Amino acid sequence: MSDTDYGIKVFRSDLPQGVKTRNIIFFIILSLIILIQCCYWFFANSVQPILMGMPFGMFFVVLFVFLEFLALLVLYLLESKEYKD
Amino acid sequence: MGWMISLTVIVIYLIIVLVIGSMAGRGRKSSVVEYIAASRSLGFIVMYFLMGGAIFSAFAYLGGPGWAYSKGAASFYILGYCALGLVPWWIWGPRALRLGRKYNYVTMFQLLSDRFQSNALSVICSVVALLAFIQYVTLQMKGSAYVFEVASEGRIPFWAGALIAYLVVLIYVFIGGVRAVAWTNVFQGAFMVVTAWALGLYFAYSLYGGPTAMFEKIAAASPTHLLVGPGAKMSYAAYFSAVLVSVLGFAMWPHLFMKSYTAKSEKVLKQTILLYPTFAIFMVPVLFIGFAGIMQITPDKLGPPDKILPWMFQQMQFPPAVIGLVLAAALAAAMSTQDTVTHGAASVFSTDIIEPLRKEKHSDQQVANLTRFFVLLFGGISYLIAVLGGQTLVALLLGAYGSIVQFLPLVVATFFWPRATKAGAICGLLVGVLYNYGIVLKFIPELGGIHAGIQGLVLNFVVLIVVSLLTKPMNKEHVHRFTE
Repeated sequence: MSDTDYGIKVFRSDLPQGVKTRNIIFFIILSLIILIQCCYWFFANSVQPILMGMPFGMFFVVLFVFLEFLALLVLYLLESKEYKD
Repeated sequence: MGWMISLTVIVIYLIIVLVIGSMAGRGRKSSVVEYIAASRSLGFIVMYFLMGGAIFSAFAYLGGPGWAYSKGAASFYILGYCALGLVPWWIWGPRALRLGRKYNYVTMFQLLSDRFQSNALSVICSVVALLAFIQYVTLQMKGSAYVFEVASEGRIPFWAGALIAYLVVLIYVFIGGVRAVAWTNVFQGAFMVVTAWALGLYFAYSLYGGPTAMFEKIAAASPTHLLVGPGAKMSYAAYFSAVLVSVLGFAMWPHLFMKSYTAKSEKVLKQTILLYPTFAIFMVPVLFIGFAGIMQITPDKLGPPDKILPWMFQQMQFPPAVIGLVLAAALAAAMSTQDTVTHGAASVFSTDIIEPLRKEKHSDQQVANLTRFFVLLFGGISYLIAVLGGQTLVALLLGAYGSIVQFLPLVVATFFWPRATKAGAICGLLVGVLYNYGIVLKFIPELGGIHAGIQGLVLNFVVLIVVSLLTKPMNKEHVHRFTE
């Protein structure tokens, strides 16, 4: 895609291919986490087992909060070398 | 006598907040970029609590337990959206930050109106935002009023409670701008988190012997309370769309989006997003408080579910000083959101409505003063609506999200689709917002329990794309400034 057209432009033109691939992978992972949170009831709509003092549904939601944090942490560490500040 | 001690603790808390807020902006130059964007200099800790204070609101602290109490598993949606709300910001936050530095933006609508070359768009966006802001602030004022009502055992009426808390907020926001908001949020945030954990676990252990026993008793007494779907308090579609609209809409709140311009660097912005899910974990014990109340009082005796947290304290025979501390934390939740929303609304008033409509622009100092004036005006209007209006806390906020999420197509188009045009942007926004309010005001029938904002959003995207393709493209050089 050239710089002068009007097509959808997801990435900056100077971004290396490796960074683009990495960003797409994390976009998919985080989108999946959002979707799973939206329909947690599909996977864990039950009270039992009660884990860590929480009904299973609530535990599942908290578990995915933790997984989201891990995904963001890995992304942050991978990106951290690129920050100019 | 006990209520006087509780009130004294609350007054001490208010004085501390007032002092921190008033001192925060001392010695700083009075300019727009300082008053609205803290001279683009905030570091990680302050940014973390600044954003956290916005979500840890009366909605979370009073509405959250209220939902756990009255709607059960539907309240898990609060955890989901607290954790995910800032994730989309990873995409647009750094882009907004870079453009803000380059073109001197301090608000979200300066960015959008520049991209689409339209002052009309700036004004329309501002009006939509202000309507939602008023709902949001009203929510916090009601939370503050509940706190004073309980602390004084009914001696301080609703109107006076809301007024006291809001006057404190007005004073420090007026003096210190976003820097005052940020530093008071650091104090308030830390205070709230400690109290939330202590209380949630205390209620579960002292009343039931622990959270596990508590949930087993709830499940035995009301088998569907901890579930969503048929027979429960929230349908699958309603849960799905409530989380989705909240996640997509969260970073679209103009007072949060404009915090992209306050961060010292892109790194600070991403650190804030990275650690933001911790606020969802802080919310877990807050929900425990509501669940703990289920077996203690029936809904008809309690009245509005949002009163469950204050009611629980009254029954536990705590020392008055402890009651004062806990109520001060609830007040902190409300005030830490009131301040940032009020500041955001005033900034939108001055920079996105008044300035675009004027032929001769104000000086930098004049815009800063105008923003201060609007802090007072917006506070007054919101106060009147809070005192005269109705509805429960969370329902109000969900209504507001439906219109705020309509800014999403504009932001996506700004950063990713150069072909989007001014006409497409304005038509899409109007259709999305009007459709959302059409459903909320019951002019348009609901569609399968799906959130009105999501339905409006789909239409908004479609109209933006179709109208943009039917109209003349904008200048290539101009639009590519925003995608690079």
